[in-house]
Amino acid sequence: MDGKRKESSLVKWLLIDISALFLGVMLLLPLGIVIWQSFKQGIAVYMKAVTDKYTVSAVLLTIEATVTAVIVNTVFGLFAAWCITKFKFKGKKLISTLIDIPVTVSPVIAGLMFMLLYGKQSALYPYLQKMHISVVFAVPGIIIATVFVTFPFISRELIPVLETHGTDEEEAAALMGAGGFTIFRKVTFPHIKWALLYGIVLCTARAMGEFGAVSILSGHLRGKTNTLPLHIEILFNEFQYVPAFAVSSILVAMAVMILVLRSVIEAVARR
Amino acid sequence: MYVELKNINKTYGDYKASDNINFSIEKGKLIGLLGPSGSGKTTILRMIAGLETPDSGDIIIDGEIVNNIPASKRGIGFVFQNYALFRYMTVYDNIAFGLKVQKADKKYIDDKVNELMKLTALEGLGKRYPSQLSGGQRQRVAFARALAPNPHLLLLDEPFAAIDAKVRQELRSWLKEMIEKLGITSIFVTHDQDEAIEVADEIIITNKGRIEQKGSPVNVYQNPETSFVASFFGQPSTIDDYMSFHSFEDVSGIEKAIIRPEFVKVSKKDEVQRFKSSASEGVIESIAFRGANIELKIKVNDTHIIAKRGLDEKEVHVGEKVDIFIYRLFVTKGNEVRLLENKSLVDDSLVI
Repeated sequence: MDGKRKESSLVKWLLIDISALFLGVMLLLPLGIVIWQSFKQGIAVYMKAVTDKYTVSAVLLTIEATVTAVIVNTVFGLFAAWCITKFKFKGKKLISTLIDIPVTVSPVIAGLMFMLLYGKQSALYPYLQKMHISVVFAVPGIIIATVFVTFPFISRELIPVLETHGTDEEEAAALMGAGGFTIFRKVTFPHIKWALLYGIVLCTARAMGEFGAVSILSGHLRGKTNTLPLHIEILFNEFQYVPAFAVSSILVAMAVMILVLRSVIEAVARR
Repeated sequence: MYVELKNINKTYGDYKASDNINFSIEKGKLIGLLGPSGSGKTTILRMIAGLETPDSGDIIIDGEIVNNIPASKRGIGFVFQNYALFRYMTVYDNIAFGLKVQKADKKYIDDKVNELMKLTALEGLGKRYPSQLSGGQRQRVAFARALAPNPHLLLLDEPFAAIDAKVRQELRSWLKEMIEKLGITSIFVTHDQDEAIEVADEIIITNKGRIEQKGSPVNVYQNPETSFVASFFGQPSTIDDYMSFHSFEDVSGIEKAIIRPEFVKVSKKDEVQRFKSSASEGVIESIAFRGANIELKIKVNDTHIIAKRGLDEKEVHVGEKVDIFIYRLFVTKGNEVRLLENKSLVDDSLVI
């Protein structure tokens, strides 16, 4: 008995150490380097890089794309999760599988798809021109790319919760004469509230960091179609290491904020 | 007739859940829909409620065809099998929900909810959430919630299935009393024959999407009209050759015979027997104590039958040879059933 217990405590500490080491090398060290590098030449240089007008416009564009993607995907995610879990219909499996495509397809390919669909070689292009809508190398393209890659995050959080929830409570409410919106507001929403918030957090984090698809559709027009990750890449390619790291630190700070928010949501939801 | 179902059919894929269902229910009655799982009883209940739509046929409530009336407008109270209480609402809000939806007056809602909580012995629990209640309390909340909007018809889907045995017994009598007091027409679904017999005014027996029989508990128990009903109640033993037992009329074309434990008299060899000449010898294979009586599995004439003996009778042992006398049995041909009395009983009464 005693020998066994010693052995399991050894295994326990070994596993903890390996995990800690792995996290240190893979996560904490690189993040530390970002912070350290960005302050290497002093606060003044850091502030200059962060308050640069192109940086500010990149931050604003990132926020714009993220907020739009989150709103669109929240609405879509709620509808999709609702229809998949509450109704029986043909092709339900297919829809449920299609929702997952954005996570399985590489973002670069997603970017190329939209390029072909809305770009100059597309059959749609003349119509878009007539309506004065430019998608490729413009803000709409960036938003579309961001929406696409963050597509499944919210519905995927909601579907399992709604599935275990069943339809009984909704049926009970309907039998008592409640309308669809009342049922959603009073019965369904309290149940999915935390899963929805969690999905929104994940979606936000993913939208902020999106690089591949956005990179193809953006055209890298500084001050116009550059998001934060693209701006960092440009600075880095121009050998402006300190500004690149300084701008990275903004993105890291935003990510950490989201992470804290996530932990708070998890803690509250568990209560 | 208050509720009527006419030629109702309902299919799910290949599965025929309702096969030409016809029945009607009088106002104020408490009806038990009884059948094995998968016999289509819950489907019937859900179609009456409007949660499912029949493929064909009419559902009539209070003289009006309700096929195209949505569930929310039918004015039916429904108690779900797992109660489906709103878990993010307090007991009070659960019961008040239906009235709030109807935009009833605040004072009226408060009075009605308090009245129902008193009726269902839930006073003082108004601020609790469903997860903080016992099974029996949840069932009573579900009942109160269904009654709050004053429904004309109350439907209950396996209302006692999720409750432990002892509380179930109490709730059965409670529910029966409550429904009688309120005089509300009610239909409940159950797979438990004891429950149906004890609670219902009338039982409708379903099997494979069809109605087998409808009648009072005594009637369906004692006068089964189909072989399914005959074999559904009690703990029936099915035997192939009933003529191997003595003194029964030989009916041609009989396929099976059904013997319920209460049809069997088991006597020890040294006990005084009235019908010794018509008894068969059997060997006790197993004995099980059932609390109120002793259940015996007896091998006789190359088949097995289940019989019972009282606790006040002399003890029997496994392997012991005993005499078996069968008072009566059901014989079946296809889905037809007939009760045969032992001829020695008839002769006996003639002698007296």
